[in-house]
Amino acid sequence: MPIHDVGYRRLTNEKNSSLFRWLAICRIGVQLALKSKWVKRIMLTAWLPMTYWAAGFFVIEKQLIADQLSLVGGDGSLNQAAMLALTESITNRFSFFLGVDDLQNVFQSGDIPEIRNTIWRWMLMSFFRYPQAIVILFLVGFIAPSLISQDIRSRAFLLYFSRPISKLEYICGKICVPSIFITLVTTLPALCLYMIALLMSPDISTFPQTWDIPVRIVIATFGLVIPTSAVALMLSSLTQESRFANFSWFAVWGLGHGAWLTIVLATALQMGLPLWDPEVMRSEVVTNWSAISLYNSLGSLQSYIFGFETFAESWRGIISLFGITAFSMTILYRRVSSPM
Amino acid sequence: MTSLISLKQITKSFKSMRALDGIDLEIRAGITGLLGPNGAGKSTLIKLLLGLVQPTSGTASFLGFDVRKQGRQIRNRIGYMPEDDCYISGLSGVNAVQFSGCLSGIPKTESLRRAHEILDFCDMKQERYRMVDTYSTGMRQKIKFASAIVHDPEFLILDEPTSGLDPEERETLLKRIRLLASQMGKSVLISTHILPDVQAICDDVVILSQGKVKLCEPLANLNRTTNPSFCIRAIENIDQLAQELDTNDVEVIKNPDGTLTVASQSPELPEIIWKAAYQTGVNIQSLIPARNSLEEVFLSTVTESPNTEEVD
Repeated sequence: MPIHDVGYRRLTNEKNSSLFRWLAICRIGVQLALKSKWVKRIMLTAWLPMTYWAAGFFVIEKQLIADQLSLVGGDGSLNQAAMLALTESITNRFSFFLGVDDLQNVFQSGDIPEIRNTIWRWMLMSFFRYPQAIVILFLVGFIAPSLISQDIRSRAFLLYFSRPISKLEYICGKICVPSIFITLVTTLPALCLYMIALLMSPDISTFPQTWDIPVRIVIATFGLVIPTSAVALMLSSLTQESRFANFSWFAVWGLGHGAWLTIVLATALQMGLPLWDPEVMRSEVVTNWSAISLYNSLGSLQSYIFGFETFAESWRGIISLFGITAFSMTILYRRVSSPM
Repeated sequence: MTSLISLKQITKSFKSMRALDGIDLEIRAGITGLLGPNGAGKSTLIKLLLGLVQPTSGTASFLGFDVRKQGRQIRNRIGYMPEDDCYISGLSGVNAVQFSGCLSGIPKTESLRRAHEILDFCDMKQERYRMVDTYSTGMRQKIKFASAIVHDPEFLILDEPTSGLDPEERETLLKRIRLLASQMGKSVLISTHILPDVQAICDDVVILSQGKVKLCEPLANLNRTTNPSFCIRAIENIDQLAQELDTNDVEVIKNPDGTLTVASQSPELPEIIWKAAYQTGVNIQSLIPARNSLEEVFLSTVTESPNTEEVD
């Protein structure tokens, strides 16, 4: 018998508010996910691109300060040729996605605070859209598929639902697990990048010029987290085998984007232009079908949140994401209810 | 005594199948055994009490709460040990119990302390630090039992609590249940197929069959036989005693263990037995009132014709 065995005693402590009991589900999910070495490796890898972007902020801030000192011509106007050279060198790779024309308009205005705000927004959006999107694909692919499928396999539903936990709280707790990991590899580094950029800027007056950017980062996080978590958990709830959910997750991304790329290829061949030519990307067929790719839809939403696309330009992606999320949540709720 | 569970004309249908068919049932404080053949509606009744399924018709209250509308309050006050082998993969035993406590609202650190305390009570030693996935059936039963009581519930619903346990463990678990009921004032509903478990610890017995309550009685009443009957153990010449009793219109059954079970409509059966023993010169070693076995009661109840009305 253990030396501290006191037998059965009454529980005298106060219980937590019933509003936050789903946090226990989230906490245990995070705890179990962190047991995977692969998840830890992906988490570490996810922070590496931040160094590249931090270097980018350093270069840009140095250039902007130099602009104010030396690129201003004798008549007080901005040396637009130098600014355009900088812009084009940065946007060279992703020019067709980022709407360089709009950026050029801002640069031509010569308003340094406005230029700074635009470049920072653009930098952070591209951070969300390119390296972190790929990281999220793998991270969620490792974490989410087992979250509900394992509960179905081990019949853990009864453990949850025989407690004062509702189905919505269960779903909320489960959705929080991938959401926390997504936040850790997108929002947190993005906010760190913003802080780095602030520290590299000339003075504190930069903050009032760019205060909207952290807000945009948080909103973009929600835009990223909710649809991806909902789709991943819906797939997890459809099977007892997490590997099937895992496969489906990659298939949803791969097939959607693959189909869109096929359309791009066909259009490029039809127009007789190179695959990544901006003309091809802006063609009506490619734009209309862009929403079949989850990746494109998320990118479209982020472009809208960061202020590089209007609603008229990005509505297809937003509606598509809304539909996917609503569909996924409905299936998820029904699947969670069915074992009862 | 007030009823903790009160069901009035409860019906639950799944499409064309009627799992519970107009049940009227009152369960009082104490330990109640819920018996019934497979498919009798026991699991549906338990899920209905937990507020996990809604009755098709009728009214039900559990601990004073409406089962239809106040499932959350009910689940806050009860502990449930499911029959299924359910667990959260990847957790150690102590973490699994701690997690159950957290789901019931116990703060994380307090829940860990409580989990250790309960696992000590359940005689779970160092194996509590192993992954639940690696546990034997008996160990998982212990973890499920510990999870059911970690938050100190008022009422326990135990679904097949002793299945998969060796005889020693089974006896120990029954003792724990008895202790919780007698010293901590908890009420317990045990759904089981193991009749000796019910015989050993239950105060009341409910028998369900074909979605209906066939019997709801205190166990003591069930043990009582309808006719006066006794079990006789004699030192020798028990056959002579049997013959003598037979001539006095007493129904005599010879048991394989050498004892006699005697029954008669006459209320003076003890005097008849002693007279017969005197006349035959048989020394009676023990004379005890015979009891109905729960198995006989169960079998006779569930094999009654479907039209038989329920026994209150």
